[in-house]
Amino acid sequence: MTQSDRKWDKVINDLKLSRRDFVFSSVAAGVLTLTPRFVSAQAGAPYKLGVLLPSTGTGANYMAHCIKGLPVAIAELNKRGGLLGKHQIQMIYRDTETKPDVGAREAKSLILNDKVDAIFGTYSSAVALAIQEIIHEHKVLHFAATSNSSKITQDNYTPYTYQFCPDSNMQSGAVVVAVAKMAKKNGWKSYVSLGQDYEWGRDTHKGFTGSLAKVAADVKETRQLWFKLGETDFTSYITAIMAAKPDFMFGAIAGKDAETFLQQAGQMGLFKRVPFPGGLIAVNDLKAQRKTLPRGMIGLARCPFFAHLNEPIMQAYIKRDRAAFGADDYPDDWACMYYDALGGLEQGAKKAGSVSTEAIVKALKGATIDTCRGKRTFRDCSNQLEVPSYVGEVWDSPDYPFPIYKPDTMVVVEAKEVWTPTCAEVDKLKKKRA
Amino acid sequence: MDIAPYALQLFSGLSRAMVLFLLSAGLSLIFGVMNILNFAHATLWLVSGYVTYSMFTFLSQQFGASPWMLLPSIVGAVALMSLLGFALERFLIRHTYARELPEQLLLTFALVLILGDAIKLIWGVENRRINLGVKPIEMMDTLVNPYQFVIIGAGVAVAVGLWYFLHRTRFGKIVRAAVFSRSMVSALGIPIPLIYSGVFALGVGLAAFAGGVFLPLLPMSLGVDHDIIVQCFAVVVIGGFGSMLGTFVASIIVGVVYSFSILFWPDGALAMIFLILIVVLIWRPWGLFGTELRY
Repeated sequence: MTQSDRKWDKVINDLKLSRRDFVFSSVAAGVLTLTPRFVSAQAGAPYKLGVLLPSTGTGANYMAHCIKGLPVAIAELNKRGGLLGKHQIQMIYRDTETKPDVGAREAKSLILNDKVDAIFGTYSSAVALAIQEIIHEHKVLHFAATSNSSKITQDNYTPYTYQFCPDSNMQSGAVVVAVAKMAKKNGWKSYVSLGQDYEWGRDTHKGFTGSLAKVAADVKETRQLWFKLGETDFTSYITAIMAAKPDFMFGAIAGKDAETFLQQAGQMGLFKRVPFPGGLIAVNDLKAQRKTLPRGMIGLARCPFFAHLNEPIMQAYIKRDRAAFGADDYPDDWACMYYDALGGLEQGAKKAGSVSTEAIVKALKGATIDTCRGKRTFRDCSNQLEVPSYVGEVWDSPDYPFPIYKPDTMVVVEAKEVWTPTCAEVDKLKKKRA
Repeated sequence: MDIAPYALQLFSGLSRAMVLFLLSAGLSLIFGVMNILNFAHATLWLVSGYVTYSMFTFLSQQFGASPWMLLPSIVGAVALMSLLGFALERFLIRHTYARELPEQLLLTFALVLILGDAIKLIWGVENRRINLGVKPIEMMDTLVNPYQFVIIGAGVAVAVGLWYFLHRTRFGKIVRAAVFSRSMVSALGIPIPLIYSGVFALGVGLAAFAGGVFLPLLPMSLGVDHDIIVQCFAVVVIGGFGSMLGTFVASIIVGVVYSFSILFWPDGALAMIFLILIVVLIWRPWGLFGTELRY
């Protein structure tokens, strides 16, 4: 290991304990300073990339790997010269605190003060919808890879936003496919829904109930329970669910709320009485709750690394993150999707032969790109990447220090099976923009 | 009529109530005696949760994993956090006594941010949790978490302990007297600054106890303090600032009403709490058990 590499490792290590804006900006600047030997002789202007993700608030635990992983991926890209081999990426991080007002403020600051060329983010759909107005007004490239309300690419469509994550309708559609099969097999007739009372929760619930009614009309929802973001005590919700005696429950719960709910529900034995198929159980949940997650539980994931171990991009990605953060620190769904977003930016610039926003927007329209999840194509009418959702049974694997989805139970639901069927329908939803 | 669902909802409401009481007791005590609205109370509770987590992890590594390691971890965290509370009062809080309320709020809000970043620096952004391996038990044809009995027991024990302390000990009587007339207490030669430091340390100690007790139920995560402080303020305002009995009763009202609202009107559960708050503010601005003098 060279001295330069050691310095770089130190920067990355420091980053784990970073204080939001200052350190991340410094690291991005450090990347430029510490790696001059990799920069091409004809270096172009740096490409400023604003990253809007929460390190506080309900989404913080989901974004942790992403926030520490992106600088490593960017450093690797910069070692190759950056975008088009000559534009070093300078990352500027801002904490959205998972709040729409903070996200909008920081987006404005990134665009007007830091003059960023593109924005990656956000975690929460409510924040994403808030910043999209600013994105559209200032014509800045926006890659969303975790916030996944279907409104982001449909009702609130802007040509500057590209979506790398299955949207809420696609996710709930995937759960419907799995639940419909189980309902038929087990004779389920009733269910209770529990969701986060905000944009994503409501949207996901609407997608699920609407789709399930079409494929299993005899399965009825008997109760809806909504809780505020950041709920700390689910006991009253859990007893209310048990009192309703449903055949199963549906949940639109993510982030730290999902972690708290799963922990408390497990301790109260909820899943012994009420099956919970299709709750969001991402790789970070599998890692964090390795001891407490009920085995056999049916989970839903967005980009689990273990589903694409044959993909060279995924293999390289896992190898690099484990080398950077430790052998047990496998990348989670969220980091994986933002890694794909970075790959999309690099490939978009290459295809466009330019780093100008308009050129990249044009180049990515309907384009097929290489991702951790294989070759995937953007839908022409919405800029939604054609990515699958994953439903499977939580299972102890001998290969990992945490459970994964049991391979023979995993259902990969492709985008085209579950997204808004036609572009004509998508176009109808789009609001008119100036 | 099957009363089991209602009995269980009452049980979960009481559990929620004791969670709120354990958190709000210190807040109420500090305001009642010192007239300081400590916005950082829930953040100190969060720090305590992390400290308890670290102690539990350390003790489990040294002496083997056992749920009983939680007890010394809580004791250690309470002692450490009480010392921190004492130091905070000595070096920061006491400079704001003569200042306006907004300045106190600004100072304690600054503490929220500083402590939040300190957590990030020390423990990182990952959530911290402990697993006691508690198994659900059957009760009234359904399953409950036995740890909820611990929460309820802890809440009642703290309520009784505080009552005993405030009514039966010399220091407690001085504290109660200070609520009504600081100058009179001071005139009797009792060192008010020391009383204040002690009360602030006790308030933070109560928060630390709550942090440790909740740890097996709630993963400690950044921002959770912001989520919970609003409900604590609601409890303290309804009960009356400075009144322990008021805080206890208000916690039960808030917890049980919230729990039954989930059963009957889930969309309005949170609104019900703030409706009660509004009614109390109009009808008795000093709270159910507060005194007009204090108000």
